[in-house]
Amino acid sequence: MDDRTRTAAGISEQLQGLKYDEKRLAEIAAELAILNDAVRKAADQRLTFDDEPAAFASVMERGGK
Amino acid sequence: MSTSDLALLDLGEVADAIAARKITSVQATEACLARIDSWQPRTNAFLRLDREGALKRARAMDAELAAGKRRSALHGVPMAHKDLYYRKGEISTAGSAIRRHWRAPFTATVLGKLDDAGVVELGFLNMAEFAAGPTGHNVHFGHCRNPWDQTRLTGGSSSGSGASVAARMVYGSLGSDTGGSIRLPASACGVVGMKATYGRVSRYGAAARSWSLDHVGPLTRSVRDNARMLAIVAGHDPDDSTTSHKDVPDYEAQMAGGVAGLKIGLALPEALVPIDPQVGAAVQAAADALGRLGSKIVAATFPDFTALYRAAEVIVKSEAASMHRPWMEKQPQDYANQVRTRAEAGFFIPATQYIDALRLRAHFVREFMATAMEGVDAVLLPAIPFPLPTIEETDTEKSGGPATLAMVARFTGLTRPFNTLGVPALSLPCGFDSNGAPMGMQLVGRAFEEGLLYRIGHAYQGATEHHKRVPQ
Repeated sequence: MDDRTRTAAGISEQLQGLKYDEKRLAEIAAELAILNDAVRKAADQRLTFDDEPAAFASVMERGGK
Repeated sequence: MSTSDLALLDLGEVADAIAARKITSVQATEACLARIDSWQPRTNAFLRLDREGALKRARAMDAELAAGKRRSALHGVPMAHKDLYYRKGEISTAGSAIRRHWRAPFTATVLGKLDDAGVVELGFLNMAEFAAGPTGHNVHFGHCRNPWDQTRLTGGSSSGSGASVAARMVYGSLGSDTGGSIRLPASACGVVGMKATYGRVSRYGAAARSWSLDHVGPLTRSVRDNARMLAIVAGHDPDDSTTSHKDVPDYEAQMAGGVAGLKIGLALPEALVPIDPQVGAAVQAAADALGRLGSKIVAATFPDFTALYRAAEVIVKSEAASMHRPWMEKQPQDYANQVRTRAEAGFFIPATQYIDALRLRAHFVREFMATAMEGVDAVLLPAIPFPLPTIEETDTEKSGGPATLAMVARFTGLTRPFNTLGVPALSLPCGFDSNGAPMGMQLVGRAFEEGLLYRIGHAYQGATEHHKRVPQ
């Protein structure tokens, strides 16, 4: 089991109380790496302290501005 | 007018004929029931049909009209809806085995609005399990089949909505859209589907796929029909705090005026997904038609959506894992494999990543406005980027290999962004591929500018015949 899969196994069993076999954990770990990496990079590039989720609703109300 | 002729009228025509008492709601309902008898065995669009209930309701609507009461511009019109809308005390499966016998504790706001408007409800329609699939496959209730070619998929997740409207079994239908689930079946079945602005239509009582990305909206035979139906279901709902307080315009009135002077951005964004030449040519032809009607067509450039796609996945998976957790722990075997596995990563996504994905949405919207929408009134692009595949080719349960999964992912490549962006997107037919299956295009606009999209779409349909073709 590689480090990434071992981390997924730890989250699964210790934090979520869910059991998956090693093959499935490896698939999930690979999927997570792509998702988390992309969001982390996008956040680094765009987000500031004052950005909050509710800003989206305000932007909608202002027609996208 | 014969029963079969009645079924071929569009929603506006039948509603106006009922209002003028040229026909009755009972006659319109009987026409739909006759179409259902003919088309249900071929399409599997309906999960439940309430023949007697519909006729009883139609008689009541006729009686009201005879007494001088017309509830709305939809009075007496028969419809059916995706089986994720709750009606108090009645089964609502969400296309799942888990909720096969579950009865809803309250009625969805949008169904209540259609009730108040005098709509006749025929029943509830097939859909992807828990709205978690873009193709129309359903292992629990049988796949929904495309009326144009029963070997080909309907698109999903509002598969029964697309098929039933296309086959003239109903005059209109509510679907829902988290990544394309109204626009894909609209495109695949040759009908019109509107994913309105996030917050324009209440989601209360619509079984959720992802609270942040779900949109409720109508599928109809024409743009005019769609405008009429959206006007009834849109508006603020105290039971859905994400709905806007903005007034609902008269969308049908806003369709007038044509497209002269409008600037439309044409996008064939190969960088997002490869676009088949047939589809590209059909959308280009639509742009040419709009140009002949007086609009100015310019090239639109899309921003890089890579981060947006990933953020959307983080949001959907996190929210789906949260809401499905009790069932995924206790009865995972009751899900289709692909439905269950698509949500599982949500258990592992850190809360900070989920929150960051939500925080990024406002930035994504501003970037889209500053690029693709800069200086244009709307953007025109394909809905599905390639000719419609068969049900067999896209069956991820039977063949979950990388090629099948990649094709299914590309299927939604041009629809998913607009759920994260929250802006309105209208899907309408723009031709037929070499297999005789429909092709569709999208018109995308600024938040709460549904009326402008209807205006462009209506002008296009006034100059073309694609939406008038009926599957035989």
